[in-house]
Amino acid sequence: MSLGEERAIRSIVVVGAGIVGVSAAMSFIRALPRVRVSIIEVPPDPAALADRLTGSLPAIGAFHAMVGVDELDLVRGGAATHHLGTRFERWSADGEPWYHAFGEYGTAGGRAAFHQLWARAQRAKQALPYYRYSMAAVLAEAGKFVHPSDELNSPFSSFNYALRIDPDRYHAELVARAQTLPLSHMQAEIGGVQRTENGGVSALLLKDGHRVEADLFIDCAGPSAPVASALSERFEDWGESLPCDRLLLGSSKAGQFSSSDLAAATSVGWRWASPLGGRQMVGLAYASSVTGEARARRVLASEAGVEEAEAVAIRTGRRPEPWTHNVLAVGDAAIAVDALQGVNLHLAQSAIRRALELLPGRDCHPLELREYNRRTKQETRRVRDFLALHYLRSGRSKGELWQALAARSLPNSLAHSVEQFEARGRLPFYEEESFDKQSWLAVLIGIGLLPRQVDPIAAALREDEAAAWMQRMADGITQEAARVPPYRDYLGRMLQPPTRRG
Amino acid sequence: MSELNTAEAPGNKQRVVILGGGTAGWMTAAALVRLLPHACTVRLVESAEIGIVGVGEATLPHLRAFVESLGIDEADFMRATHATFKLGIDFRDFGKIGDSYIHPFGDFGRELNGVDFHHYWLRMRAAGRQDDLFDYSVANVMAASKRFAPPSTDPGSLLSAYGYAYQFDATLFGPYLRAYAEKRGARRTEGKVVNVEVNPETGDLAALRMESGERVEGDLFVDCSGFISLLLGRTLGEEWEDWSHWLPCDRAVALPCTSPPGPIEPYTRATAMEAGWRWRIPLQHRVGNGYVYSSSHISDDAAADALVASVEGRPMADPRVLKFRAGRRRRSWVKNVVAVGLASGFLEPLESTSIYLVQAAITQLVELFPSGRVEEADRREYNRLVDLEYDRIRDFLILHYHATTRDDSSFWNHVRTMEVPDSLAEKMELFRHAGRVAKYTQGLFLQPSWIAVYVGQGIVPHGWDQRAEAARPDRLGAAMDSLRREIQQAVASLPDHREFIARRNAAVSETS
Ligand SMILES: Cc1cc2nc3c(=O)[nH]c(=O)nc-3n(C[C@H](O)[C@H](O)[C@H](O)COP(=O)(O)OP(=O)(O)OC[C@H]3O[C@@H](n4cnc5c(N)ncnc54)[C@H](O)[C@@H]3O)c2cc1C
Repeated sequence: MSLGEERAIRSIVVVGAGIVGVSAAMSFIRALPRVRVSIIEVPPDPAALADRLTGSLPAIGAFHAMVGVDELDLVRGGAATHHLGTRFERWSADGEPWYHAFGEYGTAGGRAAFHQLWARAQRAKQALPYYRYSMAAVLAEAGKFVHPSDELNSPFSSFNYALRIDPDRYHAELVARAQTLPLSHMQAEIGGVQRTENGGVSALLLKDGHRVEADLFIDCAGPSAPVASALSERFEDWGESLPCDRLLLGSSKAGQFSSSDLAAATSVGWRWASPLGGRQMVGLAYASSVTGEARARRVLASEAGVEEAEAVAIRTGRRPEPWTHNVLAVGDAAIAVDALQGVNLHLAQSAIRRALELLPGRDCHPLELREYNRRTKQETRRVRDFLALHYLRSGRSKGELWQALAARSLPNSLAHSVEQFEARGRLPFYEEESFDKQSWLAVLIGIGLLPRQVDPIAAALREDEAAAWMQRMADGITQEAARVPPYRDYLGRMLQPPTRRG
Repeated sequence: MSELNTAEAPGNKQRVVILGGGTAGWMTAAALVRLLPHACTVRLVESAEIGIVGVGEATLPHLRAFVESLGIDEADFMRATHATFKLGIDFRDFGKIGDSYIHPFGDFGRELNGVDFHHYWLRMRAAGRQDDLFDYSVANVMAASKRFAPPSTDPGSLLSAYGYAYQFDATLFGPYLRAYAEKRGARRTEGKVVNVEVNPETGDLAALRMESGERVEGDLFVDCSGFISLLLGRTLGEEWEDWSHWLPCDRAVALPCTSPPGPIEPYTRATAMEAGWRWRIPLQHRVGNGYVYSSSHISDDAAADALVASVEGRPMADPRVLKFRAGRRRRSWVKNVVAVGLASGFLEPLESTSIYLVQAAITQLVELFPSGRVEEADRREYNRLVDLEYDRIRDFLILHYHATTRDDSSFWNHVRTMEVPDSLAEKMELFRHAGRVAKYTQGLFLQPSWIAVYVGQGIVPHGWDQRAEAARPDRLGAAMDSLRREIQQAVASLPDHREFIARRNAAVSETS
C-alpha cells in the first residue's frame, strides 16, 4: 500500500439527492475514480433552496465542464436557458429600474476607471443610467442573448453569462448522467448517527435499520442537515442583515424566453420572476417579523397575479464550521440566503470545488479542515455583504419592511466597502468574492449611491470630451444590440441539428 | 479609447512636499508628476550631505509595471542604471549547508485536471521517482543556464509562465527618476531640514524649515527621509513595532566588487552565513555584495572579514556598515504625513521586498490621494493595506530562517528553535500535511513562491492532493519526462543573458 493510499479517503456517502447532492456525487466520482461514492436519497427539504431555484452565476460553465455536462444538451432538453442579467425595479430612491448584468459596464478612459467618469457626469446630469453602458445589460433589457465573442475588440467580448435553470428538468438531466457513473443509490431516512471516538461519524443509522459506513459524509440535505446537525447545532445568524425569512414559491403561465430575470422590491420585501419559456417561476421574499403570510400572499397575487404559492420558511445564516470531522455540509445545509441574486446553487457548486481542492486525508485532520472553513467563511461573508447591501442601503424607504430596516447597521466589512465607495468610488479588495467589482458597482450605483469625490485621475479629464465619448459608447452599444436577433430566434438557430454548421 | 484630453489645470492643487531624495523619494515624485499632474504640485527636498542609503539593487517583477506606468522605455532605463535581468534568487546553505535552490519568478510545471503540478510530483516521488521539482520551473532552468529572454506573450507557450525583475545600481536609479520627474515639473530643493512646523490646532505639518532659513510649505508631506523617519517618527512620534525577535538581523556590511568575466547570472544569490546571509547581485558593470547579520551573534569586524574573504572579484570600495531594525511604524499615514520607504519601516532584503513596498505604498497613495483635507477613512484604508503587505512578507521571510536543520552556530540555533508567529506556524503545518498553500490572491508571494521555499528548504509534505492518484503512474511519468525535456529544449534556444543585454544596449545607443 502506498503512502497515498494509506492516507486517502476510500468511501464517501452523499446525503440528499437533489441538484446539490447529485452534483456533489458526480463531482467526487469523476475526480476520484477509485473512491466508492453512494447517494442516500432522503425526503427533500422544502427549504433546500439551492435545489429549487432557477439562479446560477457564470461560474456554472466551469462547474459543468468539471462534471461533464454540456450546455447545449441542457438547453436542448429545456433544462436551462441563458441568463445575462436581472432587472431591478423599485430598489432605488428615484424608483428607476436598473440592471445587474454579468459583464463590464463601460470601458476605461485611459487610466481613469469608467465608473469614476460616469459618477462625475451623473453629478452634472449628463449621464445615461449606468447600465446603458453595458452591452450585457442592454441585451438583458431587450431580453436578447448571444454568446460572448473571443475576439478582444468585438463589442460582444465584454460579458459573461449564467444559466437559468428549470430545477426539475435540470435535476432529471443530472440524474440521467449520474446513472452512467459508478454511483450507488438508495432511498432512506436518517434515524441517527454513530460517532467515532474522536467525535466524527462512523456510520449513519437508517430508519429501515441499515447502517451505512463511510470515510466521509457530505450532507446535502438542506437546512435540516441531518448529519451535520448531529455534530453541531452552531449557527451564525444573519437575520439582522438578511431579513427575509419567508418565501412564497409559485409559477405562472406567462413568460417569453428572455435573458433577463426580474427582481422587484415591494413594500413587504421583493418578488421575482424567472422566465422559462411558456411559464415562469415567480416568488416573493418577506420578513415574518414585519409581515404576516396572508398579507404577503395578497401582495404576490396583486403584483404578479399568482394566487397559488408554497410557503417556505428559512433562517438566513451559515454553519460556522461547515466541515467538522468527517462531515461536510454543502448547499443549504451550510449556508442559507434568500433568492436574491440567485446565488444559492452557485455557493453549493463553489463549495464542492473547494472541497475537492482541499480534500483532506482519511483522518480529516483539523488543520486541513481549517483552511476549507477559512475560505468558506471569507466567501460566504462577502455574499452576505453583497446581498445585505440591497436591503440595508437601498434608497427605498416606502413600505413596512424598508422602514423596519432603516435603523439597522451594516456588517463591518460591508460598511467598509460602502464607506470607501461613497468617499471616492473605490472598492476595497476582499478575498474569495463571488461577485466581482463590476457587480458591486452595478448594485451600489443601481440602488442610488454615488461617490462624494471623483478620483483625481478622472477629475483631470475634460468633461465635455468625456461626455461626448460616453455618448458614443452608449450609442455604439445600442446600435450593436439592436442587430442581435430575439432570444427565441437565437435559441432556435442554436438548437438546429449540427448538419447546418460550418 | 484613451484619446481623452486633460482639462486645463484646475486651481486648488495639493502642494506635495517629499522629504528625501533616495529611491523612495524619487519614485514617489516620478509617480505623482506622471499620474496626478492635475491634482498636485511636487516639491522634493534632499540633502547631499546626509546622502542616501545607496543599497537596494535587487527588485521584484512588480517593478516592471511601475516603470511601464511611467511610460519609461525599459531598454533605456536598464542601460542607464547598468541593470541586469533577475529571474529569481539562488538560496544557498539555508535548509542545510550544501543545499541550493532558486526561488524562481514563475510556476512549477503545468496544472493537470485542475490539480497543481507539485501534487503529481509529490505522488511520483513517493512512488520512487527521483527528480527535482525545480527542473519543472522554466525560470529556474533558464536562470541556471544563465540565459534570458522576455516571456512569450502567447499564454499557451511554456515560455510564458515566468516573470522577471531587475538588478540595478541603486545610486543610479534615483537620479534617473529625478531627471524624469524634474522634466515633468517636480521642483527640487537641496539642503538640510533642521526644523518642522506643526499647526498647533490641527496637529498637521505646516512647513519644513531648511538650514538656509527657507521655509517649505505643503499640504501633504511624504516622508522619504530614510531610517531616521524625520516626519512620521521624529516629529509625529508614531510608535515603532519591533520584529527583531523574529528577524534578528540588524546590520549589513556592503562591498561592491568588479565583475568576473564570463556569463552574468540572471539572478541574485543569497548565501547563508554563520550569523545571517550574504547577497551577491550581478550588475552590468560590477557585482554588489553584502553580509546581512545579527550584531548580537557576530561583530562588525568579523562580519566584514567574512565578507571580504568570500567575495569574488576585486573590491571597489571599503566595506561599509549599515544599521537597521526589523519592524515598522504602527501607522504609515498620520495626519498629513505619509511615510514611504525606510521611513515607514524595514524588512531585511532577503527577498528584495523593500522597493516593492515603496511601490505598493505609492500605488495606494495615488489611489487614495486627497482632493482636499485628508479624510480619516482614507488614512485608515491606506494603513490597513500597508499592514497587509508587511504581515505577509514578514511571515515569508521568517520561513527562510526557521525552515532549517542548521545547528552550526548560535544564530542558526536561535532562528531554528525560535517561536514563529501563529500565522506562519499554521501555514507550515498545512503544507507539511498535504502540500497545500494557504491561499490568498492579494499581496506578495503567492503559491509558487511558498512552494519553492518549502521544498527548497527541505519541508516535504507527507501527503498530496488525492486527485493526483487518478492518473496512471506510467503515463504520468512519461508526461513529466516530456515536460522536462520540453523545458530544457525551449530554454536552450534562448540567448545568453550577457549577450542579450549587450544587444539591447547597442540598440538603445543607435536610436538615441
Ligand atoms: C543592507 C540593505 C540592503 C538592501 N537591499 C535591498 C534590495 O536588494 N532590494 C530592495 O528592494 N531594497 C533593498 N534595501 C532597501 C532599499 O535600499 C530602500 O528601500 C531604498 O533604497 C529606499 O530608501 P529610502 O529612499 O527610503 O531612504 P534613503 O535612501 O536613506 O533616502 C533618505 C533621503 O532623505 C534625505 N534626508 C534625510 N534626512 C534629511 C534632512 N534632515 N534634510 C534633508 N534631507 C534629508 C536624505 O538626504 C536622502 O535623500 C536594502 C536596504 C539595506 C539597508
